[in-house]
Amino acid sequence: MHDILRTFAERVQAAAAARTPLCLRAGGTKDFYGNTPRGEILDPRVWSGIEDYEPSELVMTVRAGTPLAEVEATLAAQDQMLAFEPPHFGAGATLGGCVAAGIAGPRRASSGYTYGSLRDFVLGTRLLDGHGRLLRCGGTVMKNVAGYDVSRVLAGSLGVLGLIVDVSIKVLPRPRAEATLQFECDEPTALDRLNDWGGEPLPLSASAWQDGCLRLRLSGSEAGVRSAVLRLGGERLPEAVAQAYWQDVREQSLPFFAGNTPLWRIAVPSTAEPLALEGAMQVEWGGGQRWLRSDLPAADIRARAQALGGHATLFRGGDRGQGVFTPLSPALHAIHQRLKAEFDPAGVFNPGRLIRDL
Amino acid sequence: MQTTLAPAFQNRPDAQEAAALLRSCVHCGFCSATCPTYQILGDELDGPRGRLYLMKQVLEGDRPTAKTRLHLDRCLTCRACETTCPSGVQYGRVLDTGRQLVNEQLPRPLLSGLVRRLLAVWLTGPLFAPAVAMGRLLRVLPAAQAAGVVPHRLHARRMLLLAGCVQPALSPNINAATLRVFDALGITLQVAPDAGCCGAIRHHLDDHDGALSEARRNIDAWWPAVEAGAEAIVLNASGCGTMLHEYGHLLRHDAAYAAKAARISALVRDVAEVLPALVGQLAPRLRERQPQRVVFHPPCSLQHGQKIRGAVESMLTTLGAEVLPFADAHLCCGSAGTYSLLQPQLSRELRDRKLAALGAPRPEVILSANIGCLTHLAGGTPLPVQHWIEWLDAQLA
Amino acid sequence: MDDSAVIESRPEVIDGLRRLLPARALLVAAEDTRPYECDGLTLIRQRPMAVALPETEAQVVAILKLCHAHQVPVVPRGAGTGLAGSALPHAGGVLLSLAKFNRILGVDRRGRTATVQPGVRNLAISEAAAPFGLYYAPDPSSQIACTIGGNVAENSGGVHCLKYGLTLHNVLRVRGYTSAGEPVEFGSLAPDAAGLDLLALVIGSEGMLALTTEVTVRLVPRPTVARCLMASFADVGDAGDAVAALIAAGIIPAGLEMMDQAATRLVEPFAKAGYDLEAAAVLLCESDGTVDEVEAEIAHMSQVLRDARATRLQVSTSEAERLTFWAGRKNAFPAAGRAAPAYYCTDGTIPRKHIGQMLKSIQAMEQRFGLACPNVFHAGDGNLHPLVLFDDSDPDSVARAEAFGAEILEESVRLGGTVTGEHGVGVEKLNQMCSQFDRATLDAFLGVKRAFDPAGTLNPGKVIPSLHRCAEYGRQRVTGGAVSFPDLPRF
Repeated sequence: MHDILRTFAERVQAAAAARTPLCLRAGGTKDFYGNTPRGEILDPRVWSGIEDYEPSELVMTVRAGTPLAEVEATLAAQDQMLAFEPPHFGAGATLGGCVAAGIAGPRRASSGYTYGSLRDFVLGTRLLDGHGRLLRCGGTVMKNVAGYDVSRVLAGSLGVLGLIVDVSIKVLPRPRAEATLQFECDEPTALDRLNDWGGEPLPLSASAWQDGCLRLRLSGSEAGVRSAVLRLGGERLPEAVAQAYWQDVREQSLPFFAGNTPLWRIAVPSTAEPLALEGAMQVEWGGGQRWLRSDLPAADIRARAQALGGHATLFRGGDRGQGVFTPLSPALHAIHQRLKAEFDPAGVFNPGRLIRDL
Repeated sequence: MQTTLAPAFQNRPDAQEAAALLRSCVHCGFCSATCPTYQILGDELDGPRGRLYLMKQVLEGDRPTAKTRLHLDRCLTCRACETTCPSGVQYGRVLDTGRQLVNEQLPRPLLSGLVRRLLAVWLTGPLFAPAVAMGRLLRVLPAAQAAGVVPHRLHARRMLLLAGCVQPALSPNINAATLRVFDALGITLQVAPDAGCCGAIRHHLDDHDGALSEARRNIDAWWPAVEAGAEAIVLNASGCGTMLHEYGHLLRHDAAYAAKAARISALVRDVAEVLPALVGQLAPRLRERQPQRVVFHPPCSLQHGQKIRGAVESMLTTLGAEVLPFADAHLCCGSAGTYSLLQPQLSRELRDRKLAALGAPRPEVILSANIGCLTHLAGGTPLPVQHWIEWLDAQLA
Repeated sequence: MDDSAVIESRPEVIDGLRRLLPARALLVAAEDTRPYECDGLTLIRQRPMAVALPETEAQVVAILKLCHAHQVPVVPRGAGTGLAGSALPHAGGVLLSLAKFNRILGVDRRGRTATVQPGVRNLAISEAAAPFGLYYAPDPSSQIACTIGGNVAENSGGVHCLKYGLTLHNVLRVRGYTSAGEPVEFGSLAPDAAGLDLLALVIGSEGMLALTTEVTVRLVPRPTVARCLMASFADVGDAGDAVAALIAAGIIPAGLEMMDQAATRLVEPFAKAGYDLEAAAVLLCESDGTVDEVEAEIAHMSQVLRDARATRLQVSTSEAERLTFWAGRKNAFPAAGRAAPAYYCTDGTIPRKHIGQMLKSIQAMEQRFGLACPNVFHAGDGNLHPLVLFDDSDPDSVARAEAFGAEILEESVRLGGTVTGEHGVGVEKLNQMCSQFDRATLDAFLGVKRAFDPAGTLNPGKVIPSLHRCAEYGRQRVTGGAVSFPDLPRF
């Protein structure tokens, strides 16, 4: 074991022995997310760097403390990218934090498979668990079904199972061409169109509706994007404007996200009708992700999300004391507790961050 | 699959052959997907792979019980599995031997054996036609389309036609239509008076010796015409065609008949094999009319038994029909010879599924190529059900 | 000789099952259960105490509860096409077949999902979705027969998963039961279900974490057109390099497959695909999308392949021809039955750059073990499927085949890959799991198993090797001992 990792392991073992909670935190760009962090800070940024990257293998293996910006710049130099377009939410974002948060950006809206959620691209990890064991799960190849897929569970786990040490991530070539189209329409029309277009072989790579305006991004080959632009019509945005816009969607820097009104992320089946809740709305991911700025009681918002077949997360702000995620069914909750007990029996990692009693 | 023959079977050629054929099965399970009974019953033992396993056990010396026989009896012998099988397992042949070995070790109960024997005698005997006529008279059976005028011109090209046993009684127009179409193409079809049932009915009712006798009788009946240069033995019931193709194999150990049987098998042609090259000549004689929406149900004996696929459909398209695609065209309709009588529940379920699939594209008529399928399907639908050659005959002005 | 004796029969369990199930849905006699003694992996066989063929979900729950109460193992089974023995029965257990759960519960055109029972065949989903211009993307070669329940258990791939993903990427929701018969639902129709992503754990867990009774899959729009480019190479190393060259050129083909000469010669008689039988290796590269897009991509791929020393290129000119190109590839495994009485297919995955080297290593092993080994690869994924041909009636041939397969897997691990890309570990690759993972990680896997199935009754003994087994395997590898499955009945 590398000296740095040995230090981490000793720290974890000491914390376990003393039953002292540890807060896994690098740049702190996602402190706002999840239930309120607590515990002594364990900062993985001393474990930084790209361990392995061969563009023709479409895989990059990265230490958890590596800045996300460094990862993306290295990929861009080879005309490749992280296909889930993760938000940074600040300059200090690291790859480990990105994976632990499990948040994907606008590119997840893909109608084919090509792009998807963050966990779809995690191929392997090394994890330092609560016993101080360094586990190596998954691998660096495209397909791997040896053993349980523990790596992908770490995506979005908010660090509750252990410290992610390295991640091997599948990367993709950047699309040769992109175009963004804009349509004036109300929310029901936007949802109708998104679901219609989702059933057609179109290279959709992002969608956002807000304030009477639907914007669509197309990514792919020159020919594919050209024919899709012809098929869809609408007003084409200049590429520089479009890129700035999608960057703002990704980083939540649009005016919609400003201010202190609680921000809810409501995930629903893409065909779900408009939420029709009091508050401002932004629709993304072909209709599957709906942002809501609202002071309504959490119970009302959760009930509406559930009625539409989805779930609601208090993403930013608001009263975070009651748990920001949708509660689990008793059977799933029991499995979560037993998993936690297996990986982190002393409960040292990010206690309560994902589920209040976990 | 490796099979170690039990001592009792080690010197039996049929058992040796079955064990050798079993060797090519790699247990991939692709066959289950296209097995009609597995689709309904969902039990490995009611699919080809499980049946092969059951027969392997018998060959290895395990005494079968009625359960093994039940699963073998439920097989339709549609041979869809053979079409699917990438390793080329000749399932039908293994099954013939398997059924025989089971029956030897476990004779059928008196009643069930008797039913089978009576069926064989009745269906292929002289009493069947009068019985059908009586059924029609009593309105128990639907009326058949009249046969119409049969041509008697003699052409230079001559082929033999197997008239069949149950078909002339159930649907006399099929042979008449065949004769007319061939006449229009300048070919005389001769029917040998002494030829009769092809033997398939007895073969599938466990009466192997009876089936072989019928095969020998047919060979004798055709031999003079074969010697005289008949181009082919033409069939318009694909079930019989499959059986005739087996003559060479079934009689391979019969010194007196082996060579003749092989020759006969080599001369067998379904009408669907003979006509594609010739239908062009009929174009000037076709009636002008709107293309009719038809579905063609390919009998298993045509598509799996004789591996004739797509020929009828493309011919019908050439002749101006709109041939509609439908789901699961590879699956059996449940007729399968005497199966509809011996396994009525499964047979009816398969028929209903088949008719639902055939009816989905809203055809005006259902066409097929074997008397068993035609009768079976007609019993469950208000749509007209015809042999495709009858349809073709009706297009000719 | 009964080489698969039931170790212990439990009359009280059998009696209980009789009360739960109609006679047609319970098989106990050896005559009936032996045909269930293996799945697609015939090297290892075991007769179960009983086979249950439930017809309702209530029966499934009752069986689970009964077995849980009596500590009797339950082994789920779909179509029995698996190649790693994940559905190998347990000697004292109940084999629970889900084959009768074969209904498509609904296809949602607008939402682009299909909800199906676990016994629905993979291909049947795409057939049901076809009228809406949609299909289910993962297409394992056995897709005609394999069921979605099995696909979920194995995280099955296919020839198009480089671009369209594995089962994991295309399943939204799995509903089922724990080993104790408690209802559970993983994932959801909405993105990113709350809590840990347990769906990712359940998919590929080889039926050890939960029993699946309903699956919702994502459907994707069928591309306007797909064409397949077939490229010949005079050297297997060139073909391997061409794969890396395509990816390096920024192309993600819809499918990228390789067959070596032995493989093309094996399948051509069945498939009649017109493969170049003189080429040392053939690559099948598929492009899909709009007409313009495909034309441009085919041109780009052709250029890259020519630069990578392709000796001949042929592009499919019709959908029928494209399907014929694939037919040989998809039927390659069972077609081995035409060349030898048995085949042993392994499933290692390696970094693409090592494909050429791996093929050469396998050629050397063919000499050493005296067995032929045609190769078909999911080249785009680096996923190998060497088919070791052997004679299962000759114990020596069987032993050499097992050793051959094991060595390929060891080589895969050595090259930085994995012992299984898509077929699963089952019982077949238990030994090699000891090479790929350290004990701590294997123990963590055992922890995952306990978290889902504390009683350990759901498909026990698969995937995760015991400490004892790894010690035994380590000793054999040192001494060159032969028996790779010391605690399993021999074939």
